[in-house]
Formats: sequence, structure tokens, C-alpha cells
Amino acid sequence: MKTRDEIISSLDHITAIPASITKIQRMLGQKEIDFQELARLIEYDPNLTANVLRLSNSAYFGFKYEVNTVHQALIRIGTNKIYDIVIAAAVSPVMNKPLKGYDLPKGKLWEHSVGVALASEILSEELDISVPDYTFTAALLVDIGKIALGTFIEIDAKPIMRLAYEQQIPFDIAERRILGIDHAEVGAILLEKWHLPKEIINIERWHHQPDRTEEDRMVVDIVHIADILTMIAGIGGGQDGLNYRPSKKVSERLGLTTKIHERVINKLISKIQQVYDMLTLN
Amino acid sequence: MIKTVDISDMKISEDEKDILVTYSLGSCVGITLYDPVTKIGSLIHCMLPLSRVDREKAKKNPFMFVDTGLSQQLQEMYNRGARKKNIIAKVAGGAKLLDKKNLFRIGERNYTVVRKLLWKNDILIKAQDVGESKSRTVRLYMDTGITTVRYRGEEVEL
Repeated sequence: MKTRDEIISSLDHITAIPASITKIQRMLGQKEIDFQELARLIEYDPNLTANVLRLSNSAYFGFKYEVNTVHQALIRIGTNKIYDIVIAAAVSPVMNKPLKGYDLPKGKLWEHSVGVALASEILSEELDISVPDYTFTAALLVDIGKIALGTFIEIDAKPIMRLAYEQQIPFDIAERRILGIDHAEVGAILLEKWHLPKEIINIERWHHQPDRTEEDRMVVDIVHIADILTMIAGIGGGQDGLNYRPSKKVSERLGLTTKIHERVINKLISKIQQVYDMLTLN
Repeated sequence: MIKTVDISDMKISEDEKDILVTYSLGSCVGITLYDPVTKIGSLIHCMLPLSRVDREKAKKNPFMFVDTGLSQQLQEMYNRGARKKNIIAKVAGGAKLLDKKNLFRIGERNYTVVRKLLWKNDILIKAQDVGESKSRTVRLYMDTGITTVRYRGEEVEL
């Protein structure tokens, strides 16, 4: 079994995200964005261009007129949503792989990720909390550490699962005991290497231990619960099943009730297919 | 033929060659009803306990909720000729998280409504595998009427 240090150093070799994305992100982070330049950067990558156009024309955004060029898409959609689209377009093919080691067929982890992103949106609406734009993207990336561990580093998750089941401990705790690191921290380190914004990295790192975050508590809380409600709904659930522990403090902070759980799951089930189809790219 | 029952879905069959299956139940409940005399069987996968959370949706898709879904499932069994006194009911799912403080009760509530409704209809639950943090897959084999639960790669008869 690989050690913590070996796992962290093998993250250097995961080049799953195209180099152009890193440049695009840096550009989107600037105060003054040169749309011409940004469009050109996106157009360098034919897959990304196709995906940006497809997403821009999807029913989800519901624009009246067809968007034909990346430049039009940027103006129409605005840079915040473009950021979501660029990230979704970049990670969808990565997250949509079979998850080796964890015994999860192709598509399941991606389905779960889309579920968490959508559930975050629905939950914040239901609670009347306005969350920052990066919440959706952060929620979408919540399990990228599993892909890193399972598919790229190819760790054997069986002993982890066995420990989790036999001792009835949460899956992330079992990962820490056996590997010295859990998928949340692996994901956070990977996203750091990909130069994602620190807010997104923070959510990734603490989504299973929300009480440990020192900043952005509300958003971490929302994503933690969104992840749990998606598991409960059985959307893209794997062998780790429901072996996670919800934080009591988060439920108290957000004032959650069974009624709210049921309303969120009800909406989640109704909308998941549409959003999944929109975000699933080749 | 293998017939997949999605989330908030129900399949009914009289064909011995069919296997009805539903995957990764989570907190949802799966209920198999089987009449060994007429060999009519059905499997439902309900997400939420009570339809009052969204009445409009329950009209469009009753199978999403246990109260409307199970009633409809029973009705369709009777419509095809199944008899109440023959029906064998088995229940699986209603799982929960590692949640000792019981913050999330959907799984438990789903099971409670199943039990109440079957009791009201004078149908006994012959076997069940509910609760815990298991994500279960349920199959109903129409040739034998056997219900199985698969969990962590192991399929056992219920």
C-alpha cells in the first residue's frame, strides 16, 4: 500500500486538466478581462470550444438566440458562469471515467458530483441563503480526490472498505487510517496543483469535516449537507454507500429539518437528469 | 429480460423470463410484491415517504413516494389478477448514514410508511433487510418469485 508521501508526490504526475485551463482560470481571475484574448485562449482547445458552445446553448441557460462563437458566449453568459462552464468542460471527461479500486462503473461518480452541485444550489435556495458563484464548481469537484486515488494512482480500496464496514467508521476516517490521507485532502492538494481558487480548495478539503474549516463556513456547510442528501437519494452511490458521518453542528447552524431534507431531495430528483445531460461532455 | 427499475419507478411482470432489478437503494425503499399462484410480480423504488411534500408531482409520478407508490403498485397487481391473500411482500433499503444522533430520518420514515400501509392492507412483510448504512441492489426473479439483496458484491436471498 502506498504511503501518504508517495500518494502526494504521485499527484504531480496527474495532468488530467489541460494546461490551457490553468491559463484561462488565471485570466478569469483578473479584474479587467480581455474577452478577445480569453476567447482566443479557449478556441485553442477544440474540445473545450465545442463544450463551451454546447453548454452555452443548452436549455439550462435558456437563451433565446443561438450562441455561435466563444466571444458571443462570453458576453452573453458573463464571466462567472463561464468559469463554471470551463471547469465543467474540463473535468467532466476526467470525472466520467470508471472509478477503479472503488468498484464504481463509468458515470457513477460524475452523476454523484452533478447531484452534489445541484443539491447545493437547491439547498441554498430552500434556506434562502445566497452563496457565492464558486459554490457550484466546488461542489462539482467534491470527489475529485477519489478519481485521483482510484483511477490515477490505482490504490486498492478494498482494505479501506473492509475497515469502514467492520468497524462501522466513516469511509474518510478509514482512508486516513490506512493511507494516512483521505480523498478530500488528496483532492485539495490536486486542485492546488491545478491552481484553482483557494475557496474551492478549502471546500474540497473540509467537505467531510466541515467543523474544521476556518473560513467560508456557510458554503462548506452547504456542500457538506448537499453531499449527504445526494448520498441519501442514492444518486451515483458507490461501495462506500452511506458510510459517512453528518455533522450535527452543521445541521444546527443551518436549522435543517426533515421537511427541508425531503423538499431538497424532491427537487433534486426532478432536476438531476436535465443538469446531468447538460454537463456531461465527451 | 432484465428490467431496470429506476429511482421513483415501478415495474410489473407476468413473464417468467424477466428479472426485475433496482440499484443502489440508499435511503430509498424497494418493495417486491409477488403472487405465487398467478405468478404476477412487481418491484418499486420509492424515494420519499409521503406525497404531501409535492402533490402535483405525486399525480404525475406516484412511484416517487411510498404512500402513493405502494398503493398504485398494489392496485396494478390486483388489476392483473393477483389476489391479496396470495401476495408475498418483501422490503429492502431505508438505509441511513453513520448518524447516531439520527439527524437524517428519511430512510427510517420510508420504512415506517411501508409497514403502516401494508398493515392497513392486511399484507404481512414476509422478509426484510432494512436500515444500517448499506447501499443495496434488489432483484425479483420472476421464474421462482425469489427476491435477493446484493450488497458489497454478495447476493443473498431475502
